[in-house]
Amino acid sequence: MAHFIAQNMAPIMFASLVVVLLLGYPVAFSLAAVGLFYFLIGVELAPLSGGSISLDWNLLAALPERVFGVMNNDTLLAIPFFTFMGLILERSGMAEDLLDTIGQLFGPVRGGLAYAVIFVGALLAATTGVVAASVISMGLISLPIMLRYGYDRRLAAGVIAASGTLAQIIPPSLVLIVTADQLGRSVGDMYKGAMIPGLVLSALYAGYVFLVTIVKPEAAPALPKEARTLGAGVGSLLVLIAAAAGVFYAATLWLARSHPNMPADNAAIWAGTIAIIFAYVLALINETLKLGMLSRLASQVVIVLVPPLALIFLVLGTIFVGIATPTEGGAMGALGALILAIAKRRLSIDLLKQAMDTTAKLSSFVVFILLGARVFSLTFYGVNGHTWVEHMLTSLPGGQIGFLIFVNLFVFFLAFFLDFFELAFIVIPLLGPAAEKLGIDLIWFGVILGVNMQTSFMHPPFGFALFYLRSVAPVNDFIDRVTGKKTAPVTTGQIYMGAIPFVVIQLIMVTLVVAIPSMVMVYKAGDVKLDQKQIDQQFQQIAPAPGSDEPPPLKF
Amino acid sequence: MNFLLNISRAIDSVQERFGKALSWLILAAVLVSSINAIIRFAFNISSNAWLELQWYLFSAVFLLGAGYTLLKNEHIKIDIVNSHLPKGLRNAIELFGHVFFLGLFSVVMIYMGVPFFRRSFAEMEYSASAGGLIVWPAKLMIPVGFAILLVQGVSEFIKRVAVMRGMIPDPHEGARGHGVEG
Repeated sequence: MAHFIAQNMAPIMFASLVVVLLLGYPVAFSLAAVGLFYFLIGVELAPLSGGSISLDWNLLAALPERVFGVMNNDTLLAIPFFTFMGLILERSGMAEDLLDTIGQLFGPVRGGLAYAVIFVGALLAATTGVVAASVISMGLISLPIMLRYGYDRRLAAGVIAASGTLAQIIPPSLVLIVTADQLGRSVGDMYKGAMIPGLVLSALYAGYVFLVTIVKPEAAPALPKEARTLGAGVGSLLVLIAAAAGVFYAATLWLARSHPNMPADNAAIWAGTIAIIFAYVLALINETLKLGMLSRLASQVVIVLVPPLALIFLVLGTIFVGIATPTEGGAMGALGALILAIAKRRLSIDLLKQAMDTTAKLSSFVVFILLGARVFSLTFYGVNGHTWVEHMLTSLPGGQIGFLIFVNLFVFFLAFFLDFFELAFIVIPLLGPAAEKLGIDLIWFGVILGVNMQTSFMHPPFGFALFYLRSVAPVNDFIDRVTGKKTAPVTTGQIYMGAIPFVVIQLIMVTLVVAIPSMVMVYKAGDVKLDQKQIDQQFQQIAPAPGSDEPPPLKF
Repeated sequence: MNFLLNISRAIDSVQERFGKALSWLILAAVLVSSINAIIRFAFNISSNAWLELQWYLFSAVFLLGAGYTLLKNEHIKIDIVNSHLPKGLRNAIELFGHVFFLGLFSVVMIYMGVPFFRRSFAEMEYSASAGGLIVWPAKLMIPVGFAILLVQGVSEFIKRVAVMRGMIPDPHEGARGHGVEG
């Protein structure tokens, strides 16, 4: 018996972890306890294991060093910064302003409110990275309007929950920070790699809404005339956008001439910044001088869009260009959010305290899961668990693709029970080495897992996004504020049903990222490209002449 | 038992105030870190001491704040099975976990963390990077943080026993873990 346990410690340990986690005690402490318990057993059984267990008491002294390693990890520092930034922005009313105005802009189109939710969801995702904030504000603002004008409840709930989870995959998401850290890759690269998949995913959501408006037009009606309080006036907005696009193009040309060495994506970021400033200044001049060149709708759209766009360029732009590390970007974003909230006179001391309090608790529970996982892994590696997992994963049939299919099904299944912090800290460190051994690019791998883990927010019945939406959606019949009609509530069943099509879209997206790695691989675009021919030539020159066995003499 | 409950209340109220005070360090970390970044961009200089201060502040928040997070019941749990278990069994799991999971982890970390700190303190160890900060305060946070967590674990244990005896209502009833995610 003891021999059997000694030689199969790793699988037994992993199975115990699953059971213990399911007991429902906090994950961080459960992980650590399983690690410590098996450490004890491992030390006792080491002589019986035939060399597969390498544990002794002295190793325990490595634990504080492991904690200290987590403490001085600069990458993790980005977590509180982006969380704090998201919370401040949420409370500063940016989401409300955006939803109101963009809803008005898209309202006249069939399915317009749903498109507005997706668009604003993506914008918020690119500024905050906090799922709860987006879902709650969209649930509070857009859901009542959608219900008022007769949207299908399932569609309304699904689109809000799903758009909120975009914060998971569009940078600066926390999941990408943690995944990059666990895979030992740079967060900046992970951000660059996730950008296009994030946008494609948003487009897929919009595509689904479009399909619904064709198959079942009554599920997503256009806003009636009386609801469009900002009036019409898309014409002048189009003119303004065209002008801004012109400025963008001119700026790109100018940058290409004056800075010929600048990579194309960096030039695009700078040109975009110039174009945004141009549009904003124009809108402000129009507003203050009452020129009336722009319709009310157009100037409102520009004025609400600029602060989030400016923050996106400040944070993501500096990270992408490589001026700032993600941690610095996060800190500046948090400062920018504070300044924005003060400028809008929406920052109170209570709000600040609330945001700090939530950030502190989130930081603590996230890092403690990591600490627990580090204790677990000390033992797990000591019993050769990593070689067991790696061997199991690399011997799957089908090479890279077989591995990816298996791993994705596995993570999709686990996402029903675990949320992404647990997945990232427990599962990813086990998968990473096997992926690397199979020659899979780890950034690509991280983005695939990121899109997959997004489903953990949407799975009925435990997805957090659904839970947040439930907390703000009406539970009982209510009297609509505008129409005065009695309106039915949104049932929990409708929220679950609404989420299902979006979970399916998510799986389609995982398949797309697996099938088209180039969506992610653009992260390499900024790298120095080596000319293989030239390198070969240089090698030829230094290589010894064929036939001579002796290496050339070394010169000092 | 009433005596123990009073101790638990005292722990909770100190922890509450301490946690709230600690959260200001988040703002401090944001300011230090963003000013560091801006100075680096503007003048192309950076100071290791100020860079290290960033993670000192953050470490203080998550290590010393673990007890407060426990008080607020915000350490993530997997409640998919737990929520279907009978109440008595759930309480028993809590008690068991406080002693053998949280308790064990904290005791080991305090036991190992104290010599870790003392070595650094005896050598007056400075960080390896030029102009870096002195290290022992950071290392001291490990045993202290786990001690604070352990004390809160004791308070949670007392409260759980009181709940089982029907002396107080369940403080976590109806609440579902953490409020903010991702």
